[in-house]
Amino acid sequence: MITSILLLIIAPLLSIFFVYMAVTEKDLLKAAAYSAGQSIAYSILLQAMSTPDIVMTYIAVSVGLYSALLVFVISKTERFER
Amino acid sequence: MSRRIIILILLFTATLIASFTATIILNPATPSELKGLAKYYVLNTINETASPEAVTAIVWDYRGLDTIYETLVLYLAIVGGLAMFKMSEEALLKTRIGLTLLSKTSTKIVALLIASIAAAIVFHGHLSPGGGFPGGSAVAVASMIIIPVFAAGTLIEKGVSSTKLVAIRGAALTALGLVALLPVVKGLEIVTNQRFYPASILGLPISGSLSLYNLFESLAVASGFTAIALYLSIPEEAHKGGSGA
Amino acid sequence: MVVVLEAFTYILIIAVLGLNALVSIYGIVYGRSLVKKLISLTILSDTVLVAVIFAGFYYAYPIVPPVYQDLAGAGREFLVKHASDPLPQALVLTGIVIGLAVNALIAFGIIQAYRLAKTTDARKVVEVLSGVEVTE
Repeated sequence: MITSILLLIIAPLLSIFFVYMAVTEKDLLKAAAYSAGQSIAYSILLQAMSTPDIVMTYIAVSVGLYSALLVFVISKTERFER
Repeated sequence: MSRRIIILILLFTATLIASFTATIILNPATPSELKGLAKYYVLNTINETASPEAVTAIVWDYRGLDTIYETLVLYLAIVGGLAMFKMSEEALLKTRIGLTLLSKTSTKIVALLIASIAAAIVFHGHLSPGGGFPGGSAVAVASMIIIPVFAAGTLIEKGVSSTKLVAIRGAALTALGLVALLPVVKGLEIVTNQRFYPASILGLPISGSLSLYNLFESLAVASGFTAIALYLSIPEEAHKGGSGA
Repeated sequence: MVVVLEAFTYILIIAVLGLNALVSIYGIVYGRSLVKKLISLTILSDTVLVAVIFAGFYYAYPIVPPVYQDLAGAGREFLVKHASDPLPQALVLTGIVIGLAVNALIAFGIIQAYRLAKTTDARKVVEVLSGVEVTE
């Protein structure tokens, strides 16, 4: 009981950090890495709510496919914003 | 750098203090039991759909038509994306070098593990959490790490081509449509499960059409995203000169 | 004590999800590069989907996934009191797939726009591709 309540407090605070750093970062590769970190924070929150279907799908899509897609796109366009 | 950290610490403390005071002032009542419709699904999922997993039963049986449309949306998006690019196998055959021996060996081990876990997720998806879409995405992640490590040219030499992948995707989607449309032959609605398909074959529980849907959906998703990864790894010099018509 | 902690987590998650949505909307509107706008769009859609799942969450100890342990249907009473809500999970599964499809299409569009306009700055792309001057 204590662990589930503790996870419900820690995971959202971790996600604020990653979201803010992803939005205000000038180097786009670092922003993609922070976005993957935000996905990990959200999947900890989803596991604390006990939804294993969504956790599997969300980790495979958001940490795997989005990070790979963004690295492909950044390598074909510019790396630094402005 | 320091200005961002200051704003970050301000956001943290503002959120904590605001939620603390709101808890003391408002004192909300937190929910403590299942809502009505969810209680019906949890109670009746074994009797009506022969699958002990409530989420897969809702996705492919109770609301099966929604999932058929979602598969159609994914298919149209991949078709639109592939139509914007131009596939040139000669340009891919020029990239052959790949990464070092260390990364190649570790990628072989990791890709094999990912493929076996994805097979477990897909084939057991109607009895435990999982299903067609997580398994297909896991295989797509494995192929997205194979293509840069072993350069795309060596894969094309071994016989992997985008035409074959798109053909696999089309075949899987046709099979999915057939499984959905077959009950019309007997006069039932489309996407029916228990009144047409058997609940177990030779003692193995297959929950009617749910395991067939999972298998075909995973094949469709995996081949679609492997084709996207193959298109994305064409080097940029092949597209210079002309506006990509 | 436990009741106060539960209420605190309830309000904290609502506040954090709202803050994440506001920061990502700021990123979409004021981001200068097209890729930054795409990253903020993925964060916004993820936040909304987590909010949908949180709407079906209730406080029971332990909370288990809505899966029966055997094929005969034993343990029904335990599941009705302790299982998580399966209906938002099905809707969010569809949401994740459609979000992935749209974001993949946008990524292809960004690469094509870079080939035509030689830059990913949002205002310059509009000027080059359509010939309309963007002021301010």
